[in-house]
Amino acid sequence: MNDNLQQQLIKDLLIESFEGLDNFDREMLALEKGEGNAETLNIVFRIIHTIKGSSGCIGLNKIESVAHVGESLLSLLRDGKLAFNPAMISALLEYSDALKEMFRSLEQTGQQGGADYSALLQKLQSLQTGNPVETKPAATYGLFEEEPAAPLAPQPSPTVVPEPLPARVPHIEKVNAPEKAAAEKEVAARPATSVSDTAIRVDVGQLDKLMNLVGELVLARNQIVQFTAQAQEPTLLNAAQRINTITTELQESVMKTRMQPIGNVWAKFPRIVHDMAQDLGKQVELVMEGKETDLDRTIIEAIKDPLTHLIRNAVDHGIETPETRRAAGKPDRGTLTLRAYHEGGQVNIEILDNGRGINIPKVKEKAVQRSLVTPDQAAVMSDREVFNLIFLPGFSTAEKVTNVSGRGVGMDVVKTNIEKIGGSVDVLSEAGQGTTLKIKIPLTLAIIPALIVTSGAERFAIPQVSLLELVRLEAEQARKGIEMLYGAPIYRLRGQLLPLAYLNRELKLESPATTSASVPANDAVVNIVVLQADGRQFGMVVDEINDTEEIVVKPLGKQLKSITCFAGATIMGDGKVALILDVMGLAQHANVIAEVRDRAVTGKAKAAEKVDERQTLLLFNAGQNARMAIPLSMVARLEEFPRSQVEHSGNQEVVQYRGQILPLIQIANYLPNASATPMQADPVQVVVYSEAGRSVGLVVGKINDIVHEVLTVKRNSSRDGILGSAVVQDKVTDLLDVIGIIHAADPTFYEETRKI
Amino acid sequence: MGRTIITVDDAATIRKMVAFTLRGAGHEVLEAQDGVIALNVLQSRAVDLVITDVNMPNMNGIELTRRLRTLPSFHRTPVLLLTTESDPAKKAEGRAAGATGWIVKPFSQEQLLAIVAKLLPG
Repeated sequence: MNDNLQQQLIKDLLIESFEGLDNFDREMLALEKGEGNAETLNIVFRIIHTIKGSSGCIGLNKIESVAHVGESLLSLLRDGKLAFNPAMISALLEYSDALKEMFRSLEQTGQQGGADYSALLQKLQSLQTGNPVETKPAATYGLFEEEPAAPLAPQPSPTVVPEPLPARVPHIEKVNAPEKAAAEKEVAARPATSVSDTAIRVDVGQLDKLMNLVGELVLARNQIVQFTAQAQEPTLLNAAQRINTITTELQESVMKTRMQPIGNVWAKFPRIVHDMAQDLGKQVELVMEGKETDLDRTIIEAIKDPLTHLIRNAVDHGIETPETRRAAGKPDRGTLTLRAYHEGGQVNIEILDNGRGINIPKVKEKAVQRSLVTPDQAAVMSDREVFNLIFLPGFSTAEKVTNVSGRGVGMDVVKTNIEKIGGSVDVLSEAGQGTTLKIKIPLTLAIIPALIVTSGAERFAIPQVSLLELVRLEAEQARKGIEMLYGAPIYRLRGQLLPLAYLNRELKLESPATTSASVPANDAVVNIVVLQADGRQFGMVVDEINDTEEIVVKPLGKQLKSITCFAGATIMGDGKVALILDVMGLAQHANVIAEVRDRAVTGKAKAAEKVDERQTLLLFNAGQNARMAIPLSMVARLEEFPRSQVEHSGNQEVVQYRGQILPLIQIANYLPNASATPMQADPVQVVVYSEAGRSVGLVVGKINDIVHEVLTVKRNSSRDGILGSAVVQDKVTDLLDVIGIIHAADPTFYEETRKI
Repeated sequence: MGRTIITVDDAATIRKMVAFTLRGAGHEVLEAQDGVIALNVLQSRAVDLVITDVNMPNMNGIELTRRLRTLPSFHRTPVLLLTTESDPAKKAEGRAAGATGWIVKPFSQEQLLAIVAKLLPG
């Protein structure tokens, strides 16, 4: 066999075997829980059988012989010749580890490894009492007709006259997916045992290349679109329009090919939990929900370690020993739930345990002991702030350092790693009830929405995930709005102090308006981009705010990598390069985060506790002077469209929006006392609402303000389209029933989103 | 003279090894991952030899052999089973289903070529 083929076969074998052994572990654990059936034994047998056969064929004799012993045991079990007993599980798991070890060694060194498994093999053999491993028969192949006829062989009659062969169909070279799909229908009655049947393996490098090319295409598309916008040629315009649409679709499709179910990462967890629980003398049930939730593979890679760490933590520190649980009146067996789901272009992952919860006094004590906070600060901290202390570097509450969940270097690394990919971690806990960790991560890292700003005649991109809002100060406001507090510029944003940083100064850019004085010149306009880093807000003053755009993230060259202010670069529509700002790095550079942190701690717990009850609301007019509000969390975007862009599709008003058709709903039509005439303002003010990839535009009157207030709603369900009323900014304001209105306008909206 | 052979196995390693070996000997080789797929392909296309694994998801090799024997164009086509030594009962079952011969996994390229030569003389 030539070397190339051998290498290729080994590569396939490794992929196949690692996947198989992960499944093997899972099925074993199912058996342990008593969830297995005859099919389970068949599956595990087949996995080992395949490994043995394949490795033997490519000359991996050691793996083959080890695999053989387990196969014999499993075949007896499968055929019912040997009764299954739970004692076999740990031996078989150990056996699976041995195989993995050999495969890993094969992967890394090309050798099958020098470990001695004779003790393990002995154990496996002793489990099949009275059934010594059979020796190989002498013949390795043969024809049945050369053997004495088997007693039960009703051979098919050889006298049947052969019918003429049907014409050959020469084009079938490979079995492809549609044929497979048809085949599957045929055996629909049988339970599907493998999902890999309809899939093909593609080299990850190939997918990365494809993604890169699509990224380039997106950039080229942006250039074309920008260029044709100035051209008057209708044919060119049409072509550009088509390229635009196709590129968007292509981008989505390619992104989908890179998606992997999060279950791939989770596959290892049952084993980890099982082993840890055994080591620690605990009983833990692992529940996994939403395994099929898709994520970009680069993100899957990035969250693997943080998730593993969190799982280990939950089993080690969260869930109690059966005795402790019993004493607390809880069932012996603790539950650890992993949940993943999509929400608004992000993926949420939750890790819930019903263990002891975070011990607040103990966390405070440890934090003080380690000089992470002062005793005074600790005394006034809200629960939430205390929970977040566990993410500080060098924090560990474990009474003794166990070998399972590390040495207190974990949680801060977990947080940093998740934030590195634009995600966030939040922790909630209740003493005695358990702990919930919520992780939010973006679907993909390659193409992200960003705000383009200009400073010092250079353009910069700010990832939209860090962006909270934009504030523009003009004339009088610009002069008086920015105050100095202990030498640092701040702005009062709805009663809260927002520390400011000037992008020009941080990056040492030339800009006449702001470089010389801390307070801008009289006629200047101040643009503040309100950003969020590490859960805290700050304002970044820039010269100009341009537009939002989907940008393709390009990594920075070696020379620029060490500058923490930049996360990457992108190419703009005009072909010029813009740097992507790293909001976190920039905040640290400007020292705005540390200031906020100090202030938040000294700012008394009162304010912190109130935060939870406050809501950010979008205020607007609908129809006549009705003052309405919706929670900002329901708003995907605010848009203005010239009336001329509104088109009709059937009875439906629509606009073309981001390459899609956005249906418009005149909210006036669904409100009881508003004027019957829909709003005809030009431009049309639209609140875009998105759910599971579908969007709808709510046409409102004038958008007035965004406020952050405690909301006390008086329910008033008698009026259609309105949830209730509340007093906002001292005025009675109606809360719009967004979901109700969308449902009334398009009853299929939520159904279809559910289907997707 | 090259013939057309189909190799049916859920393990890609075995499938590729069989295919490579036989292509090297000048045969045309089709691949299928299990009995259902193979049967689907073979409904519309005849081959000179079927080499099938016994233990596969969806439809095993024995069942595939049994079904093939009901197709007019497969009454005489040789069917070679890939078995394991721990499965003597399967061998008998395969024979009953109408298989022509067997080869024990693991096998070498030489062994495979030897039995294929036996099954496809000339």
